[in-house]
Amino acid sequence: MSVLDPPYEEDVWGPRRVRMVAAVLALVFVVIVGRSAWVVFNGPDRSAGDVAPVEQVRRADIVDRDGQLLVTTLQGWSLAADPSAIWEVDEVVGALKSVFPSLNTTQMTQALSDKKRRFVWVRRGISERERRAVKDLGMEALRFIEEPQRVYPNGALAGHLLGYTGVDGDGLEGVEKVYDELLKAGGDPLRLTIDASVQFVLEQELQAAQEQFTMIGAAGIVMDANTGAIRAIASWPTSDPRKRGDEPAEAKTNRAINVRPELGSIYKPLTVAAALEAGKLSVTDRFDVSAPVKIGAITVRDPHPLPNARSVTAGDIIAHSSNIGSSLIAQRIGPEALKTFLGDVGLLGGVAINGPQTASPLPPAEWNETSMATVAFGHGIGVSPLAFAMTYTPFATGGELVTPTFVESSDPASVKRKRVMSRETAAAVLAMLRRTVTEGSGKLAEAVGYEVAGKTGTAEKPTPDGYDPNRNITSFAAVFPASRPQFVVLVVLDEAEPRTGATRTASVTAAMIAGKVIARAAPLLDVQPVLGVAAVQAASLQGTEGVAQ
Amino acid sequence: MNRIVMVGGLVVVAGLAVAVYRAKLGAEETQGRIDGLKAEATKVEKEIAVLKAEEAYLTRPERIGPIARERLGLEQAAPGQYVAPEALKQRLGEERLTLPSTPEAVPAAPATDGHAEQ
Repeated sequence: MSVLDPPYEEDVWGPRRVRMVAAVLALVFVVIVGRSAWVVFNGPDRSAGDVAPVEQVRRADIVDRDGQLLVTTLQGWSLAADPSAIWEVDEVVGALKSVFPSLNTTQMTQALSDKKRRFVWVRRGISERERRAVKDLGMEALRFIEEPQRVYPNGALAGHLLGYTGVDGDGLEGVEKVYDELLKAGGDPLRLTIDASVQFVLEQELQAAQEQFTMIGAAGIVMDANTGAIRAIASWPTSDPRKRGDEPAEAKTNRAINVRPELGSIYKPLTVAAALEAGKLSVTDRFDVSAPVKIGAITVRDPHPLPNARSVTAGDIIAHSSNIGSSLIAQRIGPEALKTFLGDVGLLGGVAINGPQTASPLPPAEWNETSMATVAFGHGIGVSPLAFAMTYTPFATGGELVTPTFVESSDPASVKRKRVMSRETAAAVLAMLRRTVTEGSGKLAEAVGYEVAGKTGTAEKPTPDGYDPNRNITSFAAVFPASRPQFVVLVVLDEAEPRTGATRTASVTAAMIAGKVIARAAPLLDVQPVLGVAAVQAASLQGTEGVAQ
Repeated sequence: MNRIVMVGGLVVVAGLAVAVYRAKLGAEETQGRIDGLKAEATKVEKEIAVLKAEEAYLTRPERIGPIARERLGLEQAAPGQYVAPEALKQRLGEERLTLPSTPEAVPAAPATDGHAEQ
């Protein structure tokens, strides 16, 4: 067959083949054009393994009411080791011990001896100095891993309140624990009601108290009576959040929130308020407190006789702290009414505080004449200092109980208020509290210009064998300034004894510390001093001299 | 005719393929720039966090108080240093409470307050 022979004339598949190829090419063309159009209008397809890296959410900062940074998260370093790359385990452990003296060598030797493992944590959250020291060891099996770490720029300031996180960033104590979920979500800083400067003043005064008294513990609270905002809350010994709970039990105990001592005579104004509110007492009523009285199963005595003890008013009873008078007033209303009133002001529980959980109250097992008589002057009932501080807010607000809060809010509706007494009752008791400072047992609490109104409390500590006359809790609860109350202050000292050998009552211990706190905290809280006309003129002259200088 | 269409189609397809490839390269380059900027932003955020922590550390009350007292001679305001508005009027007189009408009338402030030089 010649090449010129028409071999394909009968090849009917020729044209069909061409059409098929054309159709395939057309299909490819359509696919490419379609895909190109899709890319143009929809952007790149990132679903096939090209996933954008997920960024770790940074735990939110904690700031004070003015935005002062209290807690933040920074990138830090942790140390890990690869056991499979270690030849001489003892040598490595020994070197690590020289950098980390607290290293558990037995555990570390065991962990590093397991050659099947490729990763062992040596120490989480190391300091820059430790990092440099480990680098200087020059060991290849050790490596640093960058991790977020909580940092407390103010050191131990507000340590009890702030709490701390574990090595994995979970809140374990304090605000870090209570608001753990919120903080983990990141975002804006958590703004506390705390004022760092006032907090510092309070902590410093509690610390300084130790120079004047021997004591085993102390607590203090400064609270805005009108909003419930806790401006400072401190417990001594202090807790350092950087130690993450690796402290003695005394330092870990938050005495402002987690203990419930019997606070003594600072309850007396509440007893008087309950009786006034019940209409069973008038401010002009007189009592004979010259002799002990038997109420229920106990005989109530006054440690010191009152002036004109045969005829004293409720104001005298508060100012000079008469146990007898307070019990007699309680007797007028009876145990149930007293119990109801104390329940209304939150001393029997049931008030939810937005913040760290407080210790539950420890009320009398049975409300009868005996318990009523002792509760009337602050014995036989235990509550946390924070819960007690709340009970003085009605004296500052004209009768409304304001619940403490730890998170700053700009919404006035967020303030929890409850009327628990009339304006008249609140004003009458406030006047008695002011008189206690001007002429009664609270003189040392006076802060010139800030009209401190308060009450001393001295309570012997209960033991299984009864009350111990040699160990007591001294306290001072105050409202200031009396003519336009703004703040409640509570100071509680545990077993405070003046180093001078003076009597260990609240009038010379807690009252003095409270006065110092108020004198220093009031200007920081923008409280204008209350000055009489003469004082205004004197201040004016002083101011002139100051300007001239 | 078919052949012309086919060749033309192939050219268009090839052109589109090149265009898509270049678009892809451009997108990857842009993505790289975005990732770089994100990394830089993260780095800057970390630096800001460190600076804020340092600021908080340097301005903590425990440190500032003694510095203000020892270097500047500042003390906390005593109640006597507050002046009531009535006392101000009495002391300065109403006319001195009126601000000068022109900036020139304002006396020049000293360049330093003395303390800054210490």
